[in-house]
Amino acid sequence: MPESGLFRPCLFSRRAFLARAGVLGAVVGAGGVIAALPVWATNTAKPSPLSGKALIEDLVGLLRPALDALAHDTLSGLAAFALPGNDQYSVAQGTLSTTAGGVQARGAGFLTQALDDFVPFPSELATPLAAAFSTALADLHLPLNNPTLLLPIQLVNNVDSALSFLLQNDQTIPLSLAVAILLNLLATQVDPSSTLTPGPDLSPFSRLTFAQKAQAFALLEGTESNLVAALDMQLPEPLRDSVSGLLKYVGGSLLEFAAFGSLGEWGVFDAATKQLTGLPVGWQLSGYQPNGVVDGWPEFKGYYQGRQQVTDI
Amino acid sequence: MRDVIVIGAGGGGAVAAKELAGRGLDVLVLEAGPRWGNPRQEWTHLENDANNPLTGFFRFGPGDRSKPWWFRETPQNSFLWQLSGVGGTTQHYYGNCPRAYPGVFSGYDGADAAMYDTAALFPFSYQDLVPYYQWVEATLPVQTAAMGTKEEVFFSGAETLGIPVQTTKTTMHDSYRPQENAILQPGGTAGFTSDPSQLMYPTATGCTFCGYCFQGCMEPINAPRNLFAKRSTDNSYMPMAMTADAWAASGKAVTLVPNAFATRIHTSVISGSTTATGVSWRDTNTGEVFREDATVVVMAGGCTENPRLWLNSGLPNPNDWVGRGYTDHYFDWVIGLFDHNTGSSKGVGSSARADFPGHGGLENVGLPPGLEAFTMGFSDSGIQGYYDNGLDLRGDWDGPAGRLYGDALKDALQNGLDQLLNVLVITDDDVESQNRVTLSAFPADENGPVAKVEFHQRNRSARTKANREFMANKAAQLLRGAGAAKVYRMNWPPLILHVQSTMRMGSSEADSVLDGTGEARWVKQLFIADNSALANGLGGPNPTLTSQALATRTSENIFRTYFGGDAYVGIETPVVSIDDRVTMAVLSRGL
Repeated sequence: MPESGLFRPCLFSRRAFLARAGVLGAVVGAGGVIAALPVWATNTAKPSPLSGKALIEDLVGLLRPALDALAHDTLSGLAAFALPGNDQYSVAQGTLSTTAGGVQARGAGFLTQALDDFVPFPSELATPLAAAFSTALADLHLPLNNPTLLLPIQLVNNVDSALSFLLQNDQTIPLSLAVAILLNLLATQVDPSSTLTPGPDLSPFSRLTFAQKAQAFALLEGTESNLVAALDMQLPEPLRDSVSGLLKYVGGSLLEFAAFGSLGEWGVFDAATKQLTGLPVGWQLSGYQPNGVVDGWPEFKGYYQGRQQVTDI
Repeated sequence: MRDVIVIGAGGGGAVAAKELAGRGLDVLVLEAGPRWGNPRQEWTHLENDANNPLTGFFRFGPGDRSKPWWFRETPQNSFLWQLSGVGGTTQHYYGNCPRAYPGVFSGYDGADAAMYDTAALFPFSYQDLVPYYQWVEATLPVQTAAMGTKEEVFFSGAETLGIPVQTTKTTMHDSYRPQENAILQPGGTAGFTSDPSQLMYPTATGCTFCGYCFQGCMEPINAPRNLFAKRSTDNSYMPMAMTADAWAASGKAVTLVPNAFATRIHTSVISGSTTATGVSWRDTNTGEVFREDATVVVMAGGCTENPRLWLNSGLPNPNDWVGRGYTDHYFDWVIGLFDHNTGSSKGVGSSARADFPGHGGLENVGLPPGLEAFTMGFSDSGIQGYYDNGLDLRGDWDGPAGRLYGDALKDALQNGLDQLLNVLVITDDDVESQNRVTLSAFPADENGPVAKVEFHQRNRSARTKANREFMANKAAQLLRGAGAAKVYRMNWPPLILHVQSTMRMGSSEADSVLDGTGEARWVKQLFIADNSALANGLGGPNPTLTSQALATRTSENIFRTYFGGDAYVGIETPVVSIDDRVTMAVLSRGL
């Protein structure tokens, strides 16, 4: 393999990972992030950024909002997948509806809060998982005209280092980000062109059609999923074999959780007052409790065959 | 030193607590979750606020809702749904109290005897358990359910199946019936109005048909705790346990410590036998660790946490059956869409069922929209019309089984939440050693190494799979008989909510953890009194009543063996949980 920046195998796989995870797209699409980067981040003449921890922390600080936006965008694509509505994500997947759906129900916010604030995703898992994600892609190819491949090497290096730093620090890693990365990796397996320069949608997953999103989940649930198997092999004992099971659980959970969140009351619930600020999308859609919560219904219709007691034998 | 420490105040632990407190023993009850002492302030009738497994007031997690839930590893597409808190998983149950089928007990000689899980029978007869069933049915109390619209629709379908109505407590053949429910019958204005001013106790008594069973029962408004309609143990057995001195001649109220996560059972070798001596626990708010000793320890932390605690305590496991044999009734869900009102989301969560002994059971269940969507979005066979994981499951339903998702989900719900009918398939599933609880390789939490629950869903026994297909077809036939325009089957992955048999009692030392008295085979003075002690999946019937009857029997064994007491079940008359003495004590003690 020629030793140019684009074709060194190790760097290629890291770049591929970052592109397919949507991270590079998020950085590019976030515009202001690039403009705000320190000069060294884009200066190809500078030495490796690994020597400057404070500089990395700076970049992490700039990267975080882009990553939050990436996660929110990907999870919006999931909310629209569960319950199409009259929103841009439903348009992108080809299922525009005339009535509100999961996006209007704030399904992405529901999923983000659930994943980030309340799931203790152990950091001991995050580091090997992040490493496993990237090295698992060493043999996969991206079209050479992919614009994200044309970003400066040093920028890619620095984004990569910043992301690794993010994933390795002491705090709980946002699981919404890990899930977004997972969904985007799967999306690019289904359709490699979904990594192209972002338009209104940042994430590869949100660019897929409904049928392609279904295919992404089919990949995740499939027992022959090479992504899942590759991840397991990259992990040290005793975690090996645990991660594929976890991913299958996560894949299934995402679908039913997205449905639950899109149809329930979270989007209009005021936790301080425990009151609803409006009628939830799911209630309007299904005709449930149009006048709000009750303490009873006039539903008593008597006893079947008049029987209030059975024989005690 | 206490007489007894009970670990867990759920469906079974509360029973052991009340029985032993009623006998005058000094009982300490530890509960990992909170006691919700003020539901009108602490709860809502909203499904995400209540039932979100990560954040809801009903979850497996600490009472402080700003803290994360307690993670358990589930390495497959599945969902583990158990609750901490006083009342345990009965807090969100529907109060269904069918008895187990006689065929799952030793000594059964019916013509269909070979159709049951014959390798894993109970080590005693159905008749042996009947007095304990009667005791619990009187105490809760259990009554024949009233009807709302959805029950009328369900029965109209059941009537087309060519099976009779069951009019006895014991199931003897294929039949259908109203549920025997631990729910107080509607009285006064209950069931006749939505006007909250007319739904206050005592103008309204019993079930008000609100439809929020799964979000916890706090109806009628302002009723005393032990007079809330649904007899979850937070409304029935625990109030009795906490007021035992008021209704039992020599009763002694238990000491309840909530927010107490048991982390270790202590043992010593006494007269050559490993013997339980006490329990350490961790205060989930402060992190402080406590320890108390007792003559007898009763484990009632449930099918997932009992094995975890056993293994974390280093207790003996010579035949490797601790945690094994997890049965979950291999749930499935068949949904019919109708073009008329079914009242699906209203009334008691489940008041109608059909029983097919040797195969399993069916029951109607009503749900609010988020939970309905969860149900439709949960499958082992992909998304209908898009992918099926190679499982092309066909039968009397429309198309292949799989999730309803996207436009299909939206269409189904736009048809009207109260124009569908849900039928839950409850399979008679075999005890299988491969379905089990072990300790996870993932990092421990603050209470120790966490549990890992594995189910080999697609590898279940031939009998189990055949039973489920049989029941799914029956469910579809019932819905068509009731006039459903469309019928969909989900093919759920494991939804581990009916849980049984992970610390099972059995006839043989080779494949059981407990003997027939409920005592651990290898640890003296250690008993188990919850669903994990059940020998098998009961043939399909909802497990709570049988667990509670078994816990009553085990409590009586404890009393007789270690405290010099006499048998009393079937001899005395039980005090009912709605007895005036209980009510007055609940009110005067601010419970």
